[in-house]
Order: sequence, then C-alpha cells, then structure tokens
Amino acid sequence: MLVLFETAAGYAIFKVLDESKLQEVDSLYKEFETPEKANKILKLKHFEKFQDTTEALAAATALVEGKLGKSLKKALKKVVAKEAHEQLAISDAKLGGVIKEKLDLSCVHSPAVAELMRCIRSQMEALISGLPPREISAMSLGLAHSLSRYKLKFSPDKVDTMIVQAISLLDDLDKELNNYNMRCREWYGWHFPELGKVVTDNLAYCKTVRKVGDRTNVATTDLSEFLPEEIEAEVKLAAEISMGTEVSEQDIGNIRHLCDQVIEISEYRAQLYDYLKNRMMAIAPNLTVMVGELVGARLISHAGSLLNLAKHPASTVQILGAEKALFRALKTRKDTPKYGLIYHASLVGQTTAKNKGKISRMLAAKTALAIRYDALGEDTNAEMGAENRAKLEARLRQLEDRGIRRISGTGKAMAKADKYQHKSEVKIYDPSGDSTIPSTSKKRKFEEVETSEQDPVTPVAKSKKPKKESVAEEQEAEMAAESPKKKKKKKEKKAEEEPEEPEEPKDEEEEMPVSEPTEKKKRKKKKKVKEEEDE
Amino acid sequence: MRPGFSPRGDRGGRGGGRGGFRGGFGDRGGRGGRGGGFRSPDGGGFRGRGGGRGTPRGRGGRGGRGGGRGGLGGGKRVLIEPHRHEGVFICRGKEDALVTKNMVMGESVYGEKRMSVEEGEAKIEYRAWNPFRSKLAAAILGGIDKIHIKPGAKVMYLGAASGTTVSHVSDIVGPEGLVYAVEFSHRSGRDLLNVAKKRTNIIPIIEDARHPHKYRMLVGMVDVIFADVAQPDQTRIVALNAHNFLKNGGHFVISIKANCIDSTAAPEAVFASEVKKMSAENMKPQEQLTLEPYERDHAVVVGIYRPPPKQKK
Repeated sequence: MLVLFETAAGYAIFKVLDESKLQEVDSLYKEFETPEKANKILKLKHFEKFQDTTEALAAATALVEGKLGKSLKKALKKVVAKEAHEQLAISDAKLGGVIKEKLDLSCVHSPAVAELMRCIRSQMEALISGLPPREISAMSLGLAHSLSRYKLKFSPDKVDTMIVQAISLLDDLDKELNNYNMRCREWYGWHFPELGKVVTDNLAYCKTVRKVGDRTNVATTDLSEFLPEEIEAEVKLAAEISMGTEVSEQDIGNIRHLCDQVIEISEYRAQLYDYLKNRMMAIAPNLTVMVGELVGARLISHAGSLLNLAKHPASTVQILGAEKALFRALKTRKDTPKYGLIYHASLVGQTTAKNKGKISRMLAAKTALAIRYDALGEDTNAEMGAENRAKLEARLRQLEDRGIRRISGTGKAMAKADKYQHKSEVKIYDPSGDSTIPSTSKKRKFEEVETSEQDPVTPVAKSKKPKKESVAEEQEAEMAAESPKKKKKKKEKKAEEEPEEPEEPKDEEEEMPVSEPTEKKKRKKKKKVKEEEDE
Repeated sequence: MRPGFSPRGDRGGRGGGRGGFRGGFGDRGGRGGRGGGFRSPDGGGFRGRGGGRGTPRGRGGRGGRGGGRGGLGGGKRVLIEPHRHEGVFICRGKEDALVTKNMVMGESVYGEKRMSVEEGEAKIEYRAWNPFRSKLAAAILGGIDKIHIKPGAKVMYLGAASGTTVSHVSDIVGPEGLVYAVEFSHRSGRDLLNVAKKRTNIIPIIEDARHPHKYRMLVGMVDVIFADVAQPDQTRIVALNAHNFLKNGGHFVISIKANCIDSTAAPEAVFASEVKKMSAENMKPQEQLTLEPYERDHAVVVGIYRPPPKQKK
C-alpha cells in the first residue's frame, strides 16, 4: 500500500512495509512512538519537492478545492509507472475520486488511513529524510501567508460586500440627513418659525432657506423653482407677519452652510440609491423583484453575503432581523415573531394586519427560492421572481377578498362560493323553499315528535344488550383458557349479532337532532361497548 | 478601529461572535441637550440594536480601563513579576495588570498599553492583556489551573478573529513555539494577516475550521488546541481538529458561550452537555471554569486528548 502525504514543502509518497499493523487502529500510534519504529513500518518512496512558493501555492489551492494539481499529477505518475497495482491511501476522499478517475489508481480513505496520517504527521521530520525541520516550518509559514493573501484577494463575495457597505451607508445617510434637517428647522425656526409649518418637505425647506436667507428677502425672491405656487404665496404672506427674532448676517450664513450640506447629501443619497438599485438588479434580480432592492440588500447585509443568505431556510429568512424578539420568545416560551426585515417589503406592507403573518410566510418561502436561484443558478433574468411575485399577489388578493366578503355577506354565502367549484355535481331543485306557509313546518314537527317517541324504546333495549354481552364476555374470557370450543360458539353468536349493527348508526343519525343529553350518554356507552367488541 | 464598521464585527467571523458589533456607533440615544422636541429621528424599523448588550468589553482601540495614562504608564515605576503560568507576567503598578512579553518591540497590536522595563542592559517590553477582551486572559485571572500554553509549545488557535488574543499567545510561546491561527471570516482574517506579518511564529490560516483537511498541508502536530469559535457544533469542530492534528496526550482549551449553543437552556445544562460530548470524542475534560466577572454565561473547559494509559509514562 502506498500513502500520499502532503506537506508544505512537497508531496511525500510512502510505502507501507507492514500492512498488518494498519488493521489495529487503536494501537497504531505505538508503532510511531520513536523515529526508528516508524521507519520500520513506512519507507519514503518519493518526495516531490515544490520548487518555489508559486508552485506550492498552486498545489495548495488545488488541494483545498479537492482537485488534482499539476505537481501532484507528476509525482503520482512517477510512482504509477513502478507500482500500478498498489492501493493509494489518501486523506481526502474527494481527491481520491479525482485521482482514480484521471490516473486509474485505486484510492482508499478510511478511519485507519486517517489514523495513519496522524501518525505520519507526528513523525514527519524523521520519516521525510533529507528535509530539515527548519525548512518545513519556513515553507509552511510562507505558504500560509501567500495562501491567505490569495484567499483575501480573490474573495468570492466581494460583490456582495459592495452591496452590504452601500446599504449601510444609505441607512447612515438617512439618519444623518434627518438629524441635519431637524437641526436646520430648529435653527432657522428662531428667525422664521412659520416657514416650517408651511413647507413640509425637507429638501424644499433647505432650498428655500438657502435662497432666501433673511426673511425680509422673501418678498423679492422667486421661489417657484422648488415650491408650488400656492405655497410660495403662503410663504410670502407669512414672512410679512412673522413673529421670529432678528438674526445677524453671520448666523444666516452658517444656516445657509448647513442647508448646502443637506442638499449635497440628499443628492449623493439619490445617486447612491441608484447605484444600489443597479447592483441589486445585477447580482440578485429575482430577490429584488420579490422584496425590492432595499429589503433585499438588507437581507444580504444581515446574512453577510448572498451565498450565506442562500443557505438560510425560508423560516429564517422570514424572521431575519427579528433575532432579539425571536430569542426572547424562545426563552419565555411565547409566540415567535412573524416577520423581521421582510416586514418592509411592499407585499407585506399592502396587506391588512390580519394577513401580514401569512403573507410574510409565503413571501419568505418564495424569496428563499429566489435567493437560491440568484446565488447558485446559471440564469441572470428575473422571470422566476416575477412569476412567483404574481402568484403571491394573486394569493394576497384572494385572502383580502375573502376578508371583505365576510364583512358584507353572511357565512353561508362564502360556503356556497367554496362549493361552487365542484361543477360535476348535479343540483336538484329543492321545492321546500317554494312556499313559506307554515304547513310544512308543522309536518316537520310531527316527524320529530315521532322519532322522539321511538327513542326511549330503542336505546334502552339496545343498551341492555351490550351490557349482557360484556358480562358474558368476561365470563367467557375466564373460560377461554379451558375450552376453545366455546370460543367458536361465541364467534357464532357475534356473527348473529353483527347484522343488526349496521342499522344502528343510521338510527342514531336520525335521532341526533332531537335527542336529549341523557340519551346521548347512553349511546356513548353503547358505542364504547361496541368498540370493545370490535377489538 | 471601531468594530461597528466591519460587516461582521471585530471578532465576528463565524456567526456573529460576541455581541455588540452591530450599531456600535458611539452615542445612541444620548442626544438630548437643547433642541428638544425632536422625535426619534430614525424612522422605520431599521435601527441597529443598542450597542453590545451588557458585555463590558471595551470598545475599539482604547482598552476598558479608565483611559489616560493611569496605572500602566510607561514613565511610572512598574514592577513585573512572573505569573504562575509560564510566559505570563503580572505588572504591579497603580493597578495590577496581566501582561505578556512583547515579541515585537515598540508595537501595539490593537491599541493596548505597553510598558518597558530595563533589566541590566536589555530593555524588555510588556503588553497589557485585557481580560474583558480575551477569554484566555479572563480564564487566567479566573484562576485556571493549567493553560498548557507555554514557551515553546505548538498551539492551534481556532477562531483567531483579528488576532488580539493570538498575539498574546504568540508572546507566550515565544520564538521557539508556533501558533496556527485559524479564522474563517475574510474581514477579520485581514487583520489577522497583518498581525502575523510581524510575528513569525503565527501561521495564519483563512479557512473553515470545520474542514481540517483543507489546511492539512500547513499544519503539523500540535500540543494544544485553543478554541473560541462560538458555534453550536464547536465541540465537533474541536474534535475534528484534534483527530487530525492534536498529539496523543495533548491538551485542549475550549471556551464555551452558552448562548451560542442553546439560548433557551440553562447555561449549566449547556456546559454539562458539551462536556459529555467531549468525553464521547476521546477528549477527557479535566477542568471547567466560568468566566463570570468578565463574560456572562461563558465557561472554559480544559482537558486532555487521548490520555495515556495510567501504568505507562
């Protein structure tokens, strides 16, 4: 048996001299306690040293991905030429499959092999002769660094990082903008408090302040650029009778600076939003169609990357962002939250409060599919998402419509609507509804009385029977051990009784509506007895 | 170096790590002052949770200490004495502090305080080790019996994060020792790589610790595995690595965060179940310690892997 052992310095291929020792997995380590002992079991056949770090790096990346690297192939071919019949022990089953496929070498990977690798690792310096330990450690250090750098450089989720950062920045900008707007209104409010009430839009407010400056200028400036006519007129009116204090030119200058900032940031925010939209449409089109770019980006940002998000089940996607509520609920054994970030999706938003949970569940299920499609699928179109969204919207309408009908109509109307689907049924005209003359109702009453009269007779008679039987059964059960013949008789008895049974349920159904509670109890008893019999 | 800006936080890495990486943005809610009448300015529900629940971890660069140059200042007279654990020292000053001997003179790794002492001609520099930021330091201050990390030891550190604790471990093991620092997150791996650049006894590995075969090329046999991965299956992760790289009779030190394994069960029950899992993997727990004043619901378990049979050795 041959063993392939990878080190940072190169590939080592050993030959196992004593294969019987490999069978004793638990005591294998004893054979490797000293270098001498280890050398008795293993012999180094070949050591394929890496020429430089680039070769080592190529080999290491191939190994991480479970592929057959160039240098490994070279090393193996040298060995294959000599001993093709030997098995090759390998520490990665996936790599073994590739080697078998490419080089037609039979590979083994088992717990025994894993143990062997462990033992080799412990005596690595002694077994790989001609390689000073210093060199191994130097190589491994160099390789580790270059491998890590390579990993960071070609990180697969760097595109997602852009989205994560963009959405975080967008949130930060919103927060800051709001702060600035508040401050601006508060500050300029001392000079011209009426403006705040008249101009509600933040951006328009800032633009107005920037243009007007001192409120005495309002009358002479043209504000039609960013204010509608009637509001402009209102502003001009308010400026004449304002109760604000006078402020100096310097104060106004500073307020104007603040307004400049707000306007600049607002513009930047709009640009950033466009960027995010484009990025989301490029990276996760289906997700974007399902929940919108903002919520989609937040979901990605929460999971860390699109691939991570794709690994989450729909139930997790549904409550992503509500972890605090979830864990609180789990701890206190209350109801877990119904929605997290997904609450802000337009589909959930347009639903009535009652159906929000339902819709968020369904949306999460479809969104999870969309995410996986985006992350792992080959296509880059949003058809799948659009299709699912249409389905959800239809379902939402159905849910909402049902709610409305329930308010205006009766419960029966709804039931009829449900039944309407079975068209194959032949409907028979019911003449009972034709006339409202009370004669029919009288008849009904009469029937009811009849049945109720019968009731007391039948149940009592029936209820007696089972009791007797049960007693008889007990007796028979005692006798059963002694005489199997009697059992047969019993069976016969049962057979006689059985034909009666099918009639009973019918009677019961008829009696149900008018029966009194006491009778019900009796019947229940009867039923129980019957069940016992059946058993 | 504010943790809030990284997508997964300073320690984050695998699955969120310590609390308080989201919304660690300075002064939330403490707005007040004048200009009253402000509504909560962030509309909508997307508010970062209140920064770091309860963990008394110092934020960012400045340590948890009072700040300024109190206590450990370089100019003040300080007295360094060795700790019970080899490679760890105690600095006696205005306030006592845990320190390690700095391998790279004149450099702080994460903004911790340094103090230099002249012994004869040689100048030796020590770095303060904050127990609120490092579980290992917390365990040492908590009075753990043995950490098994000593000068010359080969250590595998799972969940290395940005390399703050790793740098101290590298100080302890010294130039003769070796630290294999495994971290999955690319973000914190970047910082780890920077730490490893200066310290040649750290071998950085940016890989998932669940798949030890992916870094089998880089790693030799180790004496100790330290794990701080905060994953539900962390015992399994440690066991996988131990099967591959931990020598017989080697030790493991695992820090367990109860909340990461089962947030509904009682912490004690979680610890007990983890210890039980370890025993099933041929890992014999020898000591368990809670990190109480420093971390909530954390425990450190120290044990031995494949203990040698009693009559031998």
